[in-house]
Amino acid sequence: MGSPEEDYNFVFKVVLIGESGVGKTNLLSRFTRNEFNHDSRTTIGVEFSTRTILVGDAVVKAQIWDTAGLERYRAITSAYYRGAVGALVVFDITKHQTYDVVDRWLKELYDHAEASIVVMLVGNKTDLAQAREVPMEEAKMFADNNGLLFVETSALDSTNVEEAFETILKEIFYKVQKQKQRSSQSNTVSLASENPASTAPAQAERRPCCVAL
Amino acid sequence: PPAPLGFTDVSLNSRNTYEVSRRRSAPEHLPHGGTAPAEPAPPSQEPAERARHRVGIAGAGSSFAEFFTRNFFTKRTKELKPAVQSAPGWKLFGKVPPRENLPKDSKIIQQEYEARTGRMYKPPPPSARRKNIEFEPLSTTALILEDRPANLPAKSVEEALRHRQEYDEMVAEAKKREIKEAHKRKKIMRERFKQEENIASAMVIWVNEILPNWEGMRATRRVRELWWQGLPPSVRGKVWSLAVGNELNITPELYEIFLSRAKERWKSFSETSSENDMEDAGTSVADREASLELIKLDISRTFPSLYIFQKGGPYHDLLHSVLGAYTCYRPDVGYVQGMSFIAAVLILNLEEADAFIAFANLLNKPCQLAFFRVDHSMMLKYFAAFEVFFEENLPKLFLHFKSYSLTPDIYLIDWIFTLYSKSLPLDLACRVWDVFCRDGEEFLFRTGLGILRLYEDILLQMDFIHIAQFLTKLPEDITSEKLFSCIAAIQMQNSNKKWAQVFASLMKDNKEGDKNHSPAPKS
Repeated sequence: MGSPEEDYNFVFKVVLIGESGVGKTNLLSRFTRNEFNHDSRTTIGVEFSTRTILVGDAVVKAQIWDTAGLERYRAITSAYYRGAVGALVVFDITKHQTYDVVDRWLKELYDHAEASIVVMLVGNKTDLAQAREVPMEEAKMFADNNGLLFVETSALDSTNVEEAFETILKEIFYKVQKQKQRSSQSNTVSLASENPASTAPAQAERRPCCVAL
Repeated sequence: PPAPLGFTDVSLNSRNTYEVSRRRSAPEHLPHGGTAPAEPAPPSQEPAERARHRVGIAGAGSSFAEFFTRNFFTKRTKELKPAVQSAPGWKLFGKVPPRENLPKDSKIIQQEYEARTGRMYKPPPPSARRKNIEFEPLSTTALILEDRPANLPAKSVEEALRHRQEYDEMVAEAKKREIKEAHKRKKIMRERFKQEENIASAMVIWVNEILPNWEGMRATRRVRELWWQGLPPSVRGKVWSLAVGNELNITPELYEIFLSRAKERWKSFSETSSENDMEDAGTSVADREASLELIKLDISRTFPSLYIFQKGGPYHDLLHSVLGAYTCYRPDVGYVQGMSFIAAVLILNLEEADAFIAFANLLNKPCQLAFFRVDHSMMLKYFAAFEVFFEENLPKLFLHFKSYSLTPDIYLIDWIFTLYSKSLPLDLACRVWDVFCRDGEEFLFRTGLGILRLYEDILLQMDFIHIAQFLTKLPEDITSEKLFSCIAAIQMQNSNKKWAQVFASLMKDNKEGDKNHSPAPKS
């Protein structure tokens, strides 16, 4: 799966959002470093990680922005949604409250990100099945009704973590491909970012084919 | 799962030392947050049961504090590492600790091999040919001196000579390296010794001269210079308290009052939260409850590697108390992530009530208030002021960042919110706090520039994502000498304007533009 760090065709900026303590940082560290930390440190502001994967025969570099979940920080972190082509909205299946506010997170996201952003709802901590408070069907239905991808994961035992990220990256990839075809037909080039590099650092990187949905 | 108590001596250090000590005691994988390194506790320490009670810990506090001040930031940090490094084959707990990061020379590998297998290398009887070689590296390098096996053509004379010469060169090289390393070790030892002496003599000056005449001496050049060198751990808490001051006039009694209020709230919270859905509660109540939840959540995520703030750890309840009392004292600010790190550092250096007083006063400083209230427009002013000095001091790097549209909030938010206690090794963070107490907020931003300067060459080679990754997770081997010499080289002058003036003029400039932006503090 992994190919040399710097040899990629696409860079996709993906943001991780959701309440504090739902496991965003561990999902990311499981995906990018195959690590899990029971007492990972509180994320303040934003942290970053990358991983390169193959989609078909294209090399896709995921640039993942792991944001702080604290409500008060949203004024800051929402600025980081701009330029993102994907978002994982994470909740904790053992804490209903973290699921109840998914709506608010989505609103926040759509307010600040491009409308075409690919969003996946992620119910984390399936290893704590005995403490489950959010039925899977309920979350699945919510995702379907809102046009979101959906998966349940466990960063602790690795269940579906790889799948979650791969699914969303593939989905973004296909969306980009489609748009590429469309734009080449209509002979307009809309692949450049609407806002200059400031909002989409992904585009500013060295060699990638620019991506904005 | 909580860790037992008797391990503070190994794990109470900067992350680096912690790693080393961990390797020594449990070389393979440690379960996350599970069993603590099994080092015996020093006899002076309190039993875990007693330390768990808050009342108990007040008593234990002094012995702990003493323990920290003696061992925490000075000796231990430096003693552990070389001990491991300089005794390669030394078996501890029956296992040779992995040292994958150390440069191994062939001799060390050989010794390790012997330690593992228990076999001793027996040098072959010296042949006449090699008699004059006194330095015999214990490795396969010497194989090139052997004759070829009988089934291969024998070496020619020239080849044998060449091999001999190559071998001699290798030996000479190895010897040179050894001598160089020995010199380096000696130098480090000398420096450490000198440092300890300095700390000891500085302590005498602080205790006997400065502290008794605090107001008269604090601003003198001599004291300021001594201060820059780093406060001796035994007076650190005291000096921090004095420097931060107590504008708010908080007394230990007042702290007790807010603490008991916090406890009442926890009690009612734990009674109702199980059946009550938080959705329906009024916003302010929900926020308060969320605060309590958050504190609980964050405490276990504060310096997790120290194993002392986690549930069952000796300082868990203490941290809980200080933060809880603060949310009752300042409901307008409440609990905000990042606070737990600040409170934790204070608790490590001060008694409970003093830690609270320093905490509340520290957070009342304009910069901290702006950040913890997440007053976005004010934060942007601070970032803008930072950029003025960034451009002034590191123009090349400034342009490089600009070209990637990498804004300072990306790294400064974490640094400023936690006053570097999350991003720098703890002993180094304390030194930053020392001078922060002396110079105020400007030093926080100066430190940030010092970090950028320290890594300027590497950062200039990186693109956006690598810079962002690098700065939000700094290398762990950062040393105080290097960092402080870089900070010292940062000039906080911009065309004759100092930090405060630059900041003030930014405030004036944009007074009109930001009215619609600033989020009101929560009531």
